[in-house]
This record gives sequence, structure tokens and C-alpha cells, in this order.
Amino acid sequence: MARVEVESEVTGKVWKVEVGVGDRVAEGDVLVILESMKMEIPVESPHAGTVAELRVAADEPVQEDQVVAVIAT
Amino acid sequence: MGWEEEVQEIHRRRKLAKQQGGEEGIAKQHAQGRLTVRERIDALLDPDTFEEQGKATAIPDYDGDDKFLGFVPANYVVGFGKIEGRRVVVGGEDFTLKGGSPNAAGLRKSVYAEHLAVQYKAPLVRMLEGGGGSVKGGGRRGGTVGDPVFSAPRFRIIADAMGHVPIVSIACGAVAGFPAGRLVAAHFSVMSRRTAQILIGGPALVERALGVSMTKDELGGAQVHARSGVVDNLAEDEHDAFVQARRFLGYLPSSVDQRAPRTATDDSPERMEEELLHAVPRNARTGFDMRAIVRMVMDIDSFFEIGATYGRSQITGLARLDGQPVGILANDCMVYAGAMTAEAAQKYRRFVEMCDTFHLPIVNFVDQPGFMIGPEAERKGTIRYGMAAVCAAVQAKVPWASIQVHKGFGVATAAHYGQDAYVLSWPSVETGALPVEGGVAVAFHREIAAADDPEARRRELEEQLRAGRSPFPRAESFAVHELIDPRETRPALCRWIDWIQPLLDDLTGPTSFPVRP
Repeated sequence: MARVEVESEVTGKVWKVEVGVGDRVAEGDVLVILESMKMEIPVESPHAGTVAELRVAADEPVQEDQVVAVIAT
Repeated sequence: MGWEEEVQEIHRRRKLAKQQGGEEGIAKQHAQGRLTVRERIDALLDPDTFEEQGKATAIPDYDGDDKFLGFVPANYVVGFGKIEGRRVVVGGEDFTLKGGSPNAAGLRKSVYAEHLAVQYKAPLVRMLEGGGGSVKGGGRRGGTVGDPVFSAPRFRIIADAMGHVPIVSIACGAVAGFPAGRLVAAHFSVMSRRTAQILIGGPALVERALGVSMTKDELGGAQVHARSGVVDNLAEDEHDAFVQARRFLGYLPSSVDQRAPRTATDDSPERMEEELLHAVPRNARTGFDMRAIVRMVMDIDSFFEIGATYGRSQITGLARLDGQPVGILANDCMVYAGAMTAEAAQKYRRFVEMCDTFHLPIVNFVDQPGFMIGPEAERKGTIRYGMAAVCAAVQAKVPWASIQVHKGFGVATAAHYGQDAYVLSWPSVETGALPVEGGVAVAFHREIAAADDPEARRRELEEQLRAGRSPFPRAESFAVHELIDPRETRPALCRWIDWIQPLLDDLTGPTSFPVRP
């Protein structure tokens, strides 16, 4: 089992968290939706697996390259 | 008796010069997962097309009693070859000898690479691996020290070459010091992801100067330079890097004195992709895939992206339209809404200057919300780099077509229109000095604050302004050439490609500005 850190590609704010810890996700599933420069930016799971950690909550600021979630594959 | 003896000696010396660092040196290079420079040259070029220059260059080696011991081959290999049947110059350090640090004969041939390319008007491909100069061997034997005061600056030909012929740099291993400087003095640079590093100074220098202990991968590996902009593209391995170099050169003329090669295509200029009608969502907060739009409009499989991991809000690349090579600019709204960051602006300027130098028409898919704003953007000096991008665009001499796909706000939008640009507009276009949301808050702040329900008043004003931004009035008043069905984009651009053919004939030759790294 590998743990894959999922990073934000942009600086912005967490608008919605779409999954919970323990949820099964497929590759491409949206984990978190960020708001950046007035756009909704989905952060997608790069692999199928289980959500092991969520490191952000709604309305929190995020930085470029910050880990927002960890997926156990 | 003729010259048989000397001829025999010529052949012997040619053979010796090809031995590189000997079996041991070559085995060591292979063990580290890297090719030798001669293998690289063969892998890059069309089969059996290498025409080496200076086939017998070497350094004679003597012992303390001046007894001749043998030859050390020059550790730079250079010559002509062909890529898709077109002549190029290729050169590279031989890392199996002295770690690529130039020996005397190697240095002469290395300096010659740019001269050869400029003189014969052929693109240059550099295969870089090595650490540049070494303190070893300097000043041991007495005699003259330093170059004569009248010698030409070493970098002059490297700078000049960028304004004459296409230059590709490939980082094949650790590239440090002077070779790193040479690497970035190129129009396209690529590094092999696992086996290359690019460093100004390596780990030993860094530890000595700064007390920081880092590996060469941590200092200058692929994960650093994907984001630094030092290389344009990453390659999976050396062979992938050669494939990318060949592909890049396929879009470019052999020199500024020629036109870029237009190829035959089976892709109909009249092809209209249904999906383009739905490509831009009606909800402006939802992003879309700009690269998919570019691919649908350009000749099938012709889009070659350059620099995807740097300045990511701006997409740059090469493609073909009805067989004509073109430069592509496009905004990626999934990264900062496509805003022009300091990095995106530098990438933009360099790309426009390259297209201008080689007279490639530019096709620009515009979704520009403006310069990036915020504390980080101010600290990075975004406005200075942004204006440099604007200047490069408005002074460009190449034919330019802009497709207003979505947003076009602020000064940054000026970077998206060259002189006499052909302007097509999609119904999804939104333009102005400021986007409605932020603009209303600034322009009407007193009125909003004085309202009974400020939030409702703000929304009301935004709605009114948005309604006034219909795409139709601009088309009616000829502020754009045509308002089009997005599906008509390819046929319209292919007609434009036909119109600009006489202009491209007139553009060949050097530009009035030099293109710089």
C-alpha cells in the first residue's frame, strides 16, 4: 500500500470538501474544490484508493504545492 | 613511393580519436544509465548521416622525459547530420574523458559548434554533459596567461547564434557552470528526468560557500527545473529528449533566412468539431480545458507544448494549421484563471520573440483575466515582466490571429494582440478594463455602501453591467473582424493561413532585435 500526497496546483481558498476520510475514490474523482481568482478549481485524486487524510477544511487558505489530502492506494 | 605511410597514420589517428574514454570510461557511463556522446549523436540523427568535423583531434600525451605516450581524444564531438532529411549541426561533450571538462582540442571544437551552425545556416543541437572549466591544468606550464585582450568574447557567438539559427539544448547528464549557461542560450531546452541535473555550482561549491549540504538532484534535478523555467520540457530518458528535439525542429526553418517548412496534411481545413460549441461553460466560475480546444482546431496531432510546467497559467507551443507551422499562445483558466504571473509573462515574452525571430505566425486563444494580483505577485515584480510581454507582442512583425475565447481584461490583454491582428470572437467572450465583479466593487463603492441592502445593490449593478457586455455590439461596430460559431474556428484560421502566405515571403532575414535567453 502506497500513500500518495495530493497537492494544490494553485494558491487560493478551500470552497468545498467533497469527500471524507475513509471514502473510496476512483482516479479523477474530485476531493476538494478550491476557489482561486474567482474560479472553482477541482483537486482530483491522481489514483484510485481510499482517502487516508484530509489536511484542509472549508474556507481555509491553501498555498501552491500544499498537500491537501493523502490517498492510500 | 606515394604517401601511403601518412595515409595509414591518418586512419590510425581517426580510429584512436573515436575510442573516447576507453572501455572503462564507456562502461562507467553506461553503468550510470547514460549514453556516450557518439551514441547520443547516432540516436538523434537520421541513420548514417553524421559528418564529423575534426575526426583526428586529440591531445598528444608525453611523460616527464618528453617521450610520446599516445593520444587523448578531444572530448567534444561536433559535426553535421540530418534530421528528417534536413541538415543540422550537432555537438556534445564526451563525459567519458575528464568528466566532459574540456581538454584543449575539445575546447576548440566546442567553441566551433555555434560558428559552424551560423556559417552553414543549420540548426544546432547541443547535447550537454559536463562541468565546464577546471582549475586543474591552469598555469602549470608557464607561458602566456589568459586570452589576449583583442580576442572576441567567448559568449559573443553564443549570443549571436540565437538570432540566426534554431538552437536546441539537451541536458543528458549533470550540466554545471559554463555548460549550464550554454544550455539556456537556446530556443528549446529539455532534460532527461532521471539522469540529468543542471547547476550553476555543484554540491561541493554550495557547501563551501553557503554551508548547505545538498545532492546535485536536490539542487538542480528535474523537480527543481520543471518549475524554474531553466528547461522548457522534461523527457522520460535521453531517447525521449532526442524525439522532442527532432519534433521541435520540424516546425522551424533551418535559419532566419528561410521560411518554416509547410507540410502536406490530410486534415481538412473545413473540419468543424461539434464539441467546440460546448467547450466553454456558461458559468464563468467553472473552468474548461483550453488544450483540448487548441487540439480540436489545429491539424490533428500537431500540437507540441513547450514549457507546460512553468508559468502554467499561460500555454505556449507549436502546431500546424493546414500544414503551416504556427506558434500557439493560450490561457489555462485552471491555473489562476489564466492570469499573467511573472513567470507566465517571461515565458510569453521569450516565446513571442522566438516566433518573431523565425517568422512563425502566431495563433492566440485568449482567456486573459489580467495580470496576477496579490502580495506575491507584487513582490515578484509581475508588472515589469508583464509589460515586457506586452512590448514583445505589440512590436512583433509576424502575422497574428487572436481568438477571443472567454475573458479579456486589463492591460495584460494587450499582450494578446500583435499589430494588424486578425481577431475572431466567440459568443462566450467577456471583455473590458476590469472583470464585472471586482470592477463594480471599485467603481461603485460609495453607491453600494449607501444602499439599504449593499449586497443586493452590488449584485444588481453587476447584472446590469454584465448585460451590457454582450458580444454582439463589438461585432456590429467592427471592433472584431468576425463573431463566429466556435466550430468555424478551424476553417476561418485556415483561410487566414492562406491570406498570409505572401507576408511570410517578405519576413525572412534577421529581426531588428536579438533574442536573448
